[in-house]
Amino acid sequence: MKILIAEDEIALQQSIATYLEKDGNTCEVASDFTETIYKVDLYEYDIILLDINLTTGSGLDVLKTLKKNKTESGVIIISANNSLDDKLDGLDLGADDYITKPFHLAELNSRIKAVLRRGKYGGDDTITFNEINVDTKSRTAYVNGKALSLTRKEYDLLVFFMTNMGRVLSKEIIAEHLWGDNSDLADNFDFIYVHINNLRKKMTSEGAKYIKTAYGSGYKFIED
Amino acid sequence: MIVSTITLYFYVKNLMRAEVEEELYSTTARVETILGENGTPFSLPPVVEVASVNFITEKILKDTVIYDPSQKEMEEFRELSTFKEINGTKYKITVRNLIVESENILIAIILSYVTIILLIFIFLFYLNKARNKKMWLPFFTNLEAMKNFSVTSDKALYLIDSEIIEFSEFKDEIEVLTNKVRSDYKNLKQYTEDVSHELQTPLAIIQAKIENIINGDGLNDIQFEHLTSIQRDIQRLTQMNKRLTLLTKIENNQFVNMESVDMNLLVEKTVKNFQELSNVQIKISGDANILAAMDPYLAEVLCNNLISNALKHSDPDGTIDINFMENMYSISNSGSKPLEHPENLYSRFYRESEAIKSTGLGLAIVKRICDIYKFDINYTFKSGRHIFTVKF
Repeated sequence: MKILIAEDEIALQQSIATYLEKDGNTCEVASDFTETIYKVDLYEYDIILLDINLTTGSGLDVLKTLKKNKTESGVIIISANNSLDDKLDGLDLGADDYITKPFHLAELNSRIKAVLRRGKYGGDDTITFNEINVDTKSRTAYVNGKALSLTRKEYDLLVFFMTNMGRVLSKEIIAEHLWGDNSDLADNFDFIYVHINNLRKKMTSEGAKYIKTAYGSGYKFIED
Repeated sequence: MIVSTITLYFYVKNLMRAEVEEELYSTTARVETILGENGTPFSLPPVVEVASVNFITEKILKDTVIYDPSQKEMEEFRELSTFKEINGTKYKITVRNLIVESENILIAIILSYVTIILLIFIFLFYLNKARNKKMWLPFFTNLEAMKNFSVTSDKALYLIDSEIIEFSEFKDEIEVLTNKVRSDYKNLKQYTEDVSHELQTPLAIIQAKIENIINGDGLNDIQFEHLTSIQRDIQRLTQMNKRLTLLTKIENNQFVNMESVDMNLLVEKTVKNFQELSNVQIKISGDANILAAMDPYLAEVLCNNLISNALKHSDPDGTIDINFMENMYSISNSGSKPLEHPENLYSRFYRESEAIKSTGLGLAIVKRICDIYKFDINYTFKSGRHIFTVKF
């Protein structure tokens, strides 16, 4: 996939690029408004990560240009501003998703995949890995064609794992993914063990043993 | 006052007496002249009496009391008896004149005094009252304006000027002071918002780098543990930041959407979300339907914070009860003892115990939300349960 990272903080821009390139994506970067406009004009991207506060202009204006040019790239807005209005403005202007700083790269990665799945062209509603098949439309996971009965959180967890295949996911990252925005409880990790263990059991009983422990307290979805 | 009354009394009395005596002498002189002209003694009792006498003595001046038949009372007279020989005949000429009774003088004096004083008093009273009212009007108007003043309000304090220098200076000083307080408060709010905002990017960088490290090579379990512990602290900082920003936004009245929010539905949704993430049982009872007019986002925050607060402080094997009543609902969780300082419950960063990690802002936000919509929130500890009641 070809991804443009329009972010004026070089350190963050580089970290995102490093993370995403590991999946075999091609990442290009733009550090200000002019560069962003220049690049989106010239090249086609599958995904554009767009910071709202670019030093020389607003990411929202880039978004307007993109829509005017009828670009088919998926757009994820990155903002330091956790304001509902900004979020709605961005989504109204045609952004596909909105993520607030600070975010976990695994979360960003997962969102990128979701945007690609919903993609206007060549979008695929399923995630497939070996014998596992997830239908994101009906929110059902199949192992060897047999549907698993998963709870909502277990399903979310499985998709999160599969979209971050081979990555080490700490319980902190998983907790934040499951709790979402409004939680004050993410310090409580007991439930994560419960959910992960349940999911593992359900998958293992069908022969899919991919969720591994990493470094004692982290997890990794990986083939043996 | 009394001295002047007495002095005046004696002065007037003497003056009148002197006047009466002068008149008596003058009447005597006239009578003498008449007697000298026609020689016939005449009388007009009791005012003038002429009688022939055999001897001549010194004139007598005295007070006497004579019955006045016309007024049917005893009247006081001043009497002058003069002995004179006119044309060879010796006469005793007695002239009398009514004198004003001394009590009457006294009463007149006192009465006039009292009247004058009373009139002056009334006049001064109303004059002062009117003047005072005019003089203090700016003061009281300004006092009222100051009572209604709030630093959180966008409106500046408008005071009216006064002709009195002290009040005018006072007004100027208050205006300077309140403007300073307002701008300081505004700056502080802006500062909180800016700091929160500016912190987000460095936090994002730290978080991203940690994630790249944990996905890198050559890491051991202990290093991983340290890194995830940093992730936990970043998470706390982020939460704190978000909540501080939210508090500031609520205080800035940036949530203006008013909708009728179905609390039952919202609570059910929130509980469903939480139930999957905690072992603590959440029970909903009561069938009263609650509709609250408020911003839907804030309604969500209100429910979230109250329920997560209950979850956080509940015993691991306890239960949480949510009860819907007429126009209010209560959320309770089990607890071993009442709070030691319930008055600090809604203060920012107040934690009853350090055992449970939290931002210390959840209930402060709940309180602010309740305040702006004038909902009543109450905390009680009853039969081993911490109970929060929100009345809409």
